[in-house]
Amino acid sequence: MISVKNLSYSYSNDEKLAVKNISFEISKGETFGFLGPSGAGKSTTQGILTGLLKHQMGDVMVAGYDMKKVQNERFNKIGVSFEQSNVYSKLTALENLKYYADLFDGPTRDPHELLKIVGLDGRENDRAGEFSKGMKHRLTFARSMINNPELWFLDEPTTGLDPAIAATIKDIIRAEKAKGTTSFLTTHNMYIADELCDRVAFIIDGEIKLIDTPKSLKQKYGKKLVEVEYVKEGQLYKETLKTVEDADRQKIADIVKSYDIQTMHSKEATLEEIFIQVTGRELI
Amino acid sequence: MMKKIIRIFRKDATIATRDAMLIYIIVIPILLAIGILFFAPGVTDSAVKVAMFESDAPAHIEYMENYVQVEQFDSMKEIERRVGKRDDVVGIVPVNEGYEIIVEGNEDQSAIESAEVLNTLFELGATRENTTAEILDFGKTVPPLKTKLVNMLILMVIMLAGMIISLGIVEEKSDNTISAMNVTPVSQNGFIIGKSLLGGFVALGSIVVALLIMGYFDINWLMILLVGLTSMILTFVIGFIQGLGSDDVIEAAAGVKMTMLPIAGSIAGYELLADKWQWTMYWSPFYWAYKANDLILSKAADWGTVLICIAAVTGLSMAIYFISIPKIRKGLS
Ligand SMILES: Nc1ncnc2c1ncn2[C@@H]1O[C@H](COP(=O)(O)OP(=O)(O)O)[C@@H](O)[C@H]1O
Ligand SMILES: [Mg+2]
Repeated sequence: MISVKNLSYSYSNDEKLAVKNISFEISKGETFGFLGPSGAGKSTTQGILTGLLKHQMGDVMVAGYDMKKVQNERFNKIGVSFEQSNVYSKLTALENLKYYADLFDGPTRDPHELLKIVGLDGRENDRAGEFSKGMKHRLTFARSMINNPELWFLDEPTTGLDPAIAATIKDIIRAEKAKGTTSFLTTHNMYIADELCDRVAFIIDGEIKLIDTPKSLKQKYGKKLVEVEYVKEGQLYKETLKTVEDADRQKIADIVKSYDIQTMHSKEATLEEIFIQVTGRELI
Repeated sequence: MMKKIIRIFRKDATIATRDAMLIYIIVIPILLAIGILFFAPGVTDSAVKVAMFESDAPAHIEYMENYVQVEQFDSMKEIERRVGKRDDVVGIVPVNEGYEIIVEGNEDQSAIESAEVLNTLFELGATRENTTAEILDFGKTVPPLKTKLVNMLILMVIMLAGMIISLGIVEEKSDNTISAMNVTPVSQNGFIIGKSLLGGFVALGSIVVALLIMGYFDINWLMILLVGLTSMILTFVIGFIQGLGSDDVIEAAAGVKMTMLPIAGSIAGYELLADKWQWTMYWSPFYWAYKANDLILSKAADWGTVLICIAAVTGLSMAIYFISIPKIRKGLS
């Protein structure tokens, strides 16, 4: 569905690259995650793949179209949800969706149904300008599904949403995946990447550090961890220690011997911990 | 594609009904037309003005007032001074058995003839009842000042159309919706045309309504609309560029208002420059538009002249359009 070879991009059209020589393939039906801290180049990559940013270097094929050429009809197959919501504030939620639906050639989805699944039912006739940030984001997200896209771009789909709504959004993405929709998803939230993506790419400073499935990453990099909470001099401390390292093993023994243990359990390494191991940087 | 362009127009129209500034822009020309009609009644009166003695026979004054605007004075000096002023006033003073026509020399020939013919008709004893309307038509049916005001109003409407486009673009920019448009099958050209329709329709509508309010029923509408459409090309280009370059409504409106300058300059040039200097205004599409409108509104236009004006407006505007289009495209992506 997407094939990217040696893609680079510079906003200033010089050597300062926001995306550096990246390559990856996404097959049909796959949910592919771009995981990286803010400023890594995730949105820039999405911008090039959707044609919003002008193609500069490398070979990019999206949904069978070569991105070096401009072919507007390809958008009939593509849905794009933006990191920053962008809806007409003077139109109502319903008018926003109806207008957008009319711009596509194929069959489109029922706006009422879409508003319902993102939890905006009852607010159909309110102007988007009166919506909270989270509601606008949901409207933008709902709009990206209006043309039944085969290929779906999701830039930070849950960022800034409260947990209950984020859970709804995750369910919708899972349901679309079950229908066979291919998704390109960017996030700096490792839970999202872990829960939703078939494969993830770690991206930092415009470079892809690795691409793998979350499961295989955990097998390769994940070491057994023990998370312990204990009270020392009246204060609560929390530490995560590796059971495979001697220094950590010794520390666990010391803690158990000397302090009052509140909780203690073993756990798998998270994608975030693996990210830090691989890139030496945190996901912020 | 046509359907989508219309859809963009319909969306813009919906937004316009919810935007105080846009409603304002749409209503202003109509209010001005009504204003010209009611608060300047003299403007709609006859084109011909005569200066007469207060002491002249009441029947004579009354007779003349039926057809022209009569100003009364009590001395020959005052009449001469009035006639000497810039506008077209013809003096009619009694001498011996008859009357003498006093002119400055720079009056419109038809104004002089009208006054003469009218006066002769009075002397011959013709009354309104036994005179046919044609005789009193004198070939010049529309008063020139009214024509000029209406013409200015038309150019103002065209400038406002540019402002509407500018505001529409600022709207899309502040909502960040251009990026959403760019991931639909609508081409950039389709978007540009769609975004031009509201300004275009509003301007044409305002021009027609204003002309009807002021009683221009039997002018050549096709000519007026053609000149209107072509003169819009330029204000649209300016509207797009200003809209894309501005971050808020005030900035955009202020930018478009700058077109007032060439518009006012063109009008002044056409009205004030001597014939041999008129060519110095040929660069301005607004000059050609004003000239064409002037001829059409005073019903003195022939297709040949109007087409030359339209070609000049179109050519000059298109040149500016093609110079600006890369800038517009860049702003929209
Ligand atoms: N419009 C822009 N102009 C110039 N630089 C930009 C622009 N947008 C993003 N950048 C820069 O490009 C890099 C990648 O940004 P982005 O792709 O938005 O990161 P992410 O989505 O991963 O947070 C950052 O260094 C950012 O500052
Ligand atoms: Mg981003």
